[in-house]
Amino acid sequence: MRNKNLGLKTVALLAAVGLTLTACGGSNATGQSSDPTTAAGSGTPVEGGTFTFAEVTPINNWQTQAARFYEKANVLNSVLDRLTYFDVESGKVVGWIASDFTANKTQTEFTFTIRDGVTFSDGTDLDAKAVQKNLDALGLGIKSAQIQPNVDFAAYKSSEVVDKNKVKVTLKRPDANFLRATSSVTAGLVSPETLKLDNAGQTAIAKIVGSGPFVFESEKADEEVVFTSRDDYAWAPETAANQADAYLEKLVIKYLPEVAHRAGAAQSGQVDLVRGLQPVDEDVLSAGGGQVLAAQGVDLTTNHAAIRIGSGKLNDPKVRQALQVGIDRQALKDTVLSDSYVLAGSILNHQAPGFVDLSAELGYDPEKSKLLLEEAGWKVGTDGIREKDGKKLEITVASSNNSVVIKPAFELIEQQWRQIGVQLVNRAADNSFLTNAMVDDQIEFFGTRQFAYGGLGPVYAPATNNQTLNADKELNDLFTREQAATTEEEHLKLVEEEQRELVLDKALTLVLWDEVQVYGANKDAHIDFTSGTAPIFQGAWKSNG
Amino acid sequence: MGGYIAKRIGQALLVILLAYTAVFLAVQALPNDPVTIFLSADSSADPATIAQMKAYYGYDQPLIVQYLNQLGGLFTGDLGYSLSSGSAVSTRIGEVIGSTLILAGSAFALAIVLAVLLTAAASLSRNNTVRKALLNLPPLMISIPVFWLGLVLLQILAVQLGVMSLFPDGSLLALAVPIIVLAIHLSAPIAQVLIKSVQEVNRQPFVDVLRAKGASESWIFYRHTLKNAAPSALSIAGITVGTLLAGSVITETVFARAGLGQLVLQAVTVQDIPLVQGLVLLTAAAFTVVNLLVDLIHPKLDPRIITAHAGSPRALVV
Repeated sequence: MRNKNLGLKTVALLAAVGLTLTACGGSNATGQSSDPTTAAGSGTPVEGGTFTFAEVTPINNWQTQAARFYEKANVLNSVLDRLTYFDVESGKVVGWIASDFTANKTQTEFTFTIRDGVTFSDGTDLDAKAVQKNLDALGLGIKSAQIQPNVDFAAYKSSEVVDKNKVKVTLKRPDANFLRATSSVTAGLVSPETLKLDNAGQTAIAKIVGSGPFVFESEKADEEVVFTSRDDYAWAPETAANQADAYLEKLVIKYLPEVAHRAGAAQSGQVDLVRGLQPVDEDVLSAGGGQVLAAQGVDLTTNHAAIRIGSGKLNDPKVRQALQVGIDRQALKDTVLSDSYVLAGSILNHQAPGFVDLSAELGYDPEKSKLLLEEAGWKVGTDGIREKDGKKLEITVASSNNSVVIKPAFELIEQQWRQIGVQLVNRAADNSFLTNAMVDDQIEFFGTRQFAYGGLGPVYAPATNNQTLNADKELNDLFTREQAATTEEEHLKLVEEEQRELVLDKALTLVLWDEVQVYGANKDAHIDFTSGTAPIFQGAWKSNG
Repeated sequence: MGGYIAKRIGQALLVILLAYTAVFLAVQALPNDPVTIFLSADSSADPATIAQMKAYYGYDQPLIVQYLNQLGGLFTGDLGYSLSSGSAVSTRIGEVIGSTLILAGSAFALAIVLAVLLTAAASLSRNNTVRKALLNLPPLMISIPVFWLGLVLLQILAVQLGVMSLFPDGSLLALAVPIIVLAIHLSAPIAQVLIKSVQEVNRQPFVDVLRAKGASESWIFYRHTLKNAAPSALSIAGITVGTLLAGSVITETVFARAGLGQLVLQAVTVQDIPLVQGLVLLTAAAFTVVNLLVDLIHPKLDPRIITAHAGSPRALVV
């Protein structure tokens, strides 16, 4: 018995020592934090140096369309250029590799003028011919390499080289969102030689040839990838602060799967930037002299739970509206999230073109929820959970584990809904459950956020709708009209209408918070982010070079 | 002896074949084929692409054809294609296996050394308190979670003191620390069994005879006790291969190292079934081969295993 106690005491002592030392980590530095929006803008850029960025998971597929996932988009943004760029400040698509672009009145034909003097890193020209081949690959896929078409290019029919600098794209149907889709990281331009490779070749970073500011130098599988700045790079997006080559000399991508180390890595300077900071680590990092940078996902929808009505329990819009106002969003922010997170005002985030602020109607109102549920015929049962026709109001949420906050968020919602007599089964962050749940309309909620370049049509329309899995005729008509809008004014008006329908009238999505990626940065790092939350390494620099 | 070896190798091959069959059947029991499962993570997968990919990777063929094709591939080292990277499963494994072999191999060797040292110190110590403390070390070592120890050491060494990198940068510490973390956990069960069996051997009459002849305690320990106690510890060491692989998943994640453990994690996360299949098979093969080696070394340590027939008075009772 005495021996057992000895062992126990030793464990306890070791644990205490470990925790004390861990705790010290937060308090032994100078205490400096900086405003994320001016991170790159402050001071005069210093030339040179190696910038180390830690992603959360190793990257093995670098084909441009894989950039639908953050870890790939964050790096590919600095390796492949696109035809256009979305400028958050003006809310407009601006020129990049295309110096100019025009559309016909019906939005079925787009002509891109390709900038002069752009070359791929292997020396070949990025001209109209190369662009045409890339557009074909994006719009039609590459069968021989098992690469499928880009979902945002669903309307693509064909393209032709008009002259050395001009490409004309023809669409199958009007698509008001097509231009914005050409600004997506999933539409990166590669050398025509790359397009000829097999699947393994086109997904390997060592073989992909782009025209971006950073060029592949070396890699160590699953540990790091090193890129070198391209000295002759001179074709940054029209609105980029740095119009020349990158200030940095080298860019090193590493991986930090262990979430507990991320704040420490940035604070200690072992990395200059790290993605996937947990809310609990934000204060630790700021207090330790590091920077907490919240990159707003303007290109994405808000974090939301898309509603599927297959189980029959949520058929009645009243029930869905009851759930919408049965969520105390402020409590979510106060307990699970942090100051880096902005509560949702709609299905689009606050900075997205066409955003309409519906937050006044999303206020927490449990009494209204109860009333709506009563009206819909759901009566409180003996265990406090509502019932109707012998069925309990027990509903399930599925989501991937991509977001560090999604599971705790639904845990809190579970508690909140208990108050109105609703039982939530929380399967958030369970990837294996999600595989089937994603296409199962019996599972009531799909917790997610999606890239939405432009309107909501591409996300919610029937052809691509994996959100609600619901073919609602009225909504579908609306989405079709939105995509066919011929003027920007008309388009934005319809996007606004879509938001009202989805969030309020039909309540087919429960909106939670604006999409954001929280990065931790060292005090010497200066960096900005794109509308898709990717770091802009071409404009990044380090105070200490 | 030759018959014994042939029998053991035959058994090992059978185990690997059964493992392959079990993995194949388990994949068939999934609600969908690997391509559909993999693409379901992508919002844009359309049926035509799925069908085309299924045909390309051979998942549209009858089960028996798939079974035999994949089995045939095994003999040529072809484990199929990893859906997440497009490259061959064997290539993906080849890229990182070296890293795991260094980590796991060194940790295993260190674990054996630690276990023997601990046993020697505990057995030879004359101070009662010291001996009791040493005897309590293995339960403590096995109770400390690998990830916790790794996190604490990295927090202290890499973040607080800044003497090592959070990443595998090729430095001695960046390699030594994960090895030590894994070895500590691994050596505990080996030490426990070794200590127990040393205690048992020590109770046997021949040890008293040696003492009566005037042999020193350390001479008895190293020349006689340890040798007699080794077989059972060896068996445990063979079984710890499983712990070693599970441990490397955690160690590789905590220390941001490339390796099989990290690859398993990735493959499962992105639902790359062919890659998972290849890794499970590799694990089964590693497990079988290590236990085959243990079986082959066993008779060297204890010839009775071969010379005695089961049921004879000399047969080893295990």
